[in-house]
Amino acid sequence: MGNLFSSMFDRLWGVNKELRILILGLDGAGKTTILYRLQVGEVVTTKPTIGFNVETLTYKNLKLNVWDLGGQTSIRPYWRCYYANTAAVIFVVDSTDKDRMAIASKELHMMLQEEELQDAALLVFANKQDQPGALSASEVSKELKLAELKDRSWSIVASSAIKGEGITEGLDWLIDVVKEEQL
Amino acid sequence: MDKKIKKFLKDAVRVAPKVSNKGELFELRNGLVSKYPQTRKDAIKKTIQQMTIGKDVSPLFPDVLKNIATSDIEQKKLVYLYVINYAQTHPELCILAVNTFVTDAQDPNPLIRCMAIRTMSMIRVDMILDHVEGPLRKTLQDDNPYVRKTAVLCVAKLFHLNRELCISLNMITDLISALDDSNLMVVANTIASLTDIYEMDSSVVPLPLLIQSHITQLLHALSECTEWARITILGALAQCDAKDSIQAQDIIGRVTPHLQHVNPAVVLSSVKVIVKNLDLLPSELQKQPTDKVSTALVSLMSTPPEMQYVALRNIRILLQKYPELLSKELPIFYVKFNDPLYVKLEKLDIMVRLVSTSNLKQCSLLLAELREYAMEFEPEFVLKAIQAISQLAIKFAYANDSTSATKFVTKALDILCTLLQDRDTFQDECLVSICDLLRYDSQLANLPLPIVSSWTDADSHLVTDSGKCNYIWMLGQYRFPNAEEKLQQFIDTFAQQGHSTQLSILLTVVKLSRQLPDTTLQHVLKLATTETQDIDIRDMAMLYWRCLSLPNADKLVEDLSNAKLPPLTSTLDQFSPELLHSLLQELSTLSSIYYKPLSQFKRRTVQHSSVQGKALDELTSMAHAEIAKNLNSETLLDLDSDSTNVPNANIKGGSALEELSDLFNFTGDSLLDKPMQKMTIQEGKQVPANGSAKDLMDLF
Repeated sequence: MGNLFSSMFDRLWGVNKELRILILGLDGAGKTTILYRLQVGEVVTTKPTIGFNVETLTYKNLKLNVWDLGGQTSIRPYWRCYYANTAAVIFVVDSTDKDRMAIASKELHMMLQEEELQDAALLVFANKQDQPGALSASEVSKELKLAELKDRSWSIVASSAIKGEGITEGLDWLIDVVKEEQL
Repeated sequence: MDKKIKKFLKDAVRVAPKVSNKGELFELRNGLVSKYPQTRKDAIKKTIQQMTIGKDVSPLFPDVLKNIATSDIEQKKLVYLYVINYAQTHPELCILAVNTFVTDAQDPNPLIRCMAIRTMSMIRVDMILDHVEGPLRKTLQDDNPYVRKTAVLCVAKLFHLNRELCISLNMITDLISALDDSNLMVVANTIASLTDIYEMDSSVVPLPLLIQSHITQLLHALSECTEWARITILGALAQCDAKDSIQAQDIIGRVTPHLQHVNPAVVLSSVKVIVKNLDLLPSELQKQPTDKVSTALVSLMSTPPEMQYVALRNIRILLQKYPELLSKELPIFYVKFNDPLYVKLEKLDIMVRLVSTSNLKQCSLLLAELREYAMEFEPEFVLKAIQAISQLAIKFAYANDSTSATKFVTKALDILCTLLQDRDTFQDECLVSICDLLRYDSQLANLPLPIVSSWTDADSHLVTDSGKCNYIWMLGQYRFPNAEEKLQQFIDTFAQQGHSTQLSILLTVVKLSRQLPDTTLQHVLKLATTETQDIDIRDMAMLYWRCLSLPNADKLVEDLSNAKLPPLTSTLDQFSPELLHSLLQELSTLSSIYYKPLSQFKRRTVQHSSVQGKALDELTSMAHAEIAKNLNSETLLDLDSDSTNVPNANIKGGSALEELSDLFNFTGDSLLDKPMQKMTIQEGKQVPANGSAKDLMDLF
């Protein structure tokens, strides 16, 4: 009972509310680097994530619960465990990895078909723009067949997590969309 | 009116049922993935609650796991608890927790670091173990001693779960270096961890050497750590030998204060260490530690009965090495009316061993005490008390001059005779004890004889095999009136009697062959060779039969039956020196309660290859079969000169022995060619089959 009331109270006033955001993508795309770029504003040395990292950050008066899930083939099947109650998905793509663009596209579309993610906004980071030979945002968009997406607010932003370029722009867009949807 | 209002309110305020029709798990899952932290935490609490009452909440594993990453330590603890409980049923999902474990192992909060590393080494999932190296190594070097202590223990856990991994990661070296840690708590736990590993595989750690080289640290750590760590350290100290008497003295000096510890396990472990080092001291310095040990043991007698039992079992071991240890403390071991039976039995045993034979007054007091015990009602206790009377009498008589000895034995015999008449149900045991005393001093036979010889129907008085056996022995030894008639009762029921009784009948009939009619002797010999399954009795009968058929049979039988029995010196059972030595090393462990050395508890590692093992198994069974075959056919017992030069059991039989020779590459073929098949059976003792297999194995 108490829980019911307190959660009703929370819901009415929007206190303590957290937005769940997932960061997904193939292994080595830069998900963990982006997460800590957001959290501490620095580049941290990362190891392949076995499992997940989760950080809570406050951005524009919103409490964000950002989940960075490991991208290795063995862990991808468990992404679905985290879909419930997700406000937005950040999909990170390694723009230099042309060979695996098709796999990334497949994973992305498969994920978006999930019932639980129907209302989630999608932000794609075409990451590693600092590297030579990186595809541009529009090229990545084409490779990922983002144009096929219907009934979903999505955007693609060219970024470099190492240099910190494009990350805040992307997030700003995402927050705007999510705020609109939530309120 | 009130009631109406209440009813109205009850109807108006509707409480939603806690569990919706979608089920409890659904509700909990919803709670676990809620957007609100408080709701999630409540849901975790509910889940753990369900888990502890035994409901299967494992389907929630992924959802609970999501909550592992939190700064709330309480919530973290709950999730860890859940993960430990269900990791085995969901090994594949554990991989999702790896990253969190690794991150937590670097958390600024030492408690969280500990929790992470502890949980990680507890989960029996290979995927987790693959990632344990980094965090474990880091925590072993942690700034916080509590974390180091935990990490040190985790190495042993890791070793238990995956030996190869632990060795290949070289964790043991790190562990050994932790012995030099500045924190004594860490040192104590390192020793515990090393001991565990050493017990699992003694080839990995040179534990005795390590203890030897760190003896000073350990002695310092002893007073700093918790009682259980203390026990471990004491155990470690007991395993190593002191260099010289000075070090031994130092060890004893450091350990002695712990004899006053409230935990009996600490006390017994301290006793173990002291006993181990006591022999190294010069004899004039031994007295003080011995006194301290004796005081400590006395204090253990005021603990609850279960602990008393353990203490008594250990005292029994100590008493054999130091008979004088507790001789002044006899009264504490007197049985109290409310002691449980198992304590009473041990106390009885201890008292007889304890009593000092030079102190007549003490012995007499104990005898009176035992007499009281023999009047109790618990059968096992009374039996043991009756035994104890004869044990005490023999112990005293052996150590003292003949006049006081006779006096004491007479007194004991008197008590036993009274008991024999008074206590109908314990006549067997009384008779056995009386016979023990008579074997010690046969002059005293006039006391019990009138009672025993007055029995017309001994079979109704005696129940046990040993009782009957002793009765028949008395019949033969003291020539009762109507002995023939009394013996006849037993001969008639020969086939139904136990092993000892049958043997005793045979011996007595041969002994009394002069008085008995010839037919009786023939009859018994026939019975003993045809009616019994027992090999010893059969061979014994064969032997007598052969003796009787020799030319000077009468003389031979006379000599055989009047042969002097070796005098009894003690009827108390003693440990063999080797057993005593190993038991003293293992005081306060299970082996000191079972009186079995530790090596017998462990499954022996198979040394030879499986093929060889199989061959040996087959050989053993072949040997068994062969012996059985030989026994079933006509057995020829040869008492000629041949029997003297056959030390090994030589089993001869067609194919089996050929295979044996193939396997063992027998060179001495002459053994095989011997025409006679023999088994060495001396004085009715059969060489057991596996014994012969062992002999063959020696050849191998």
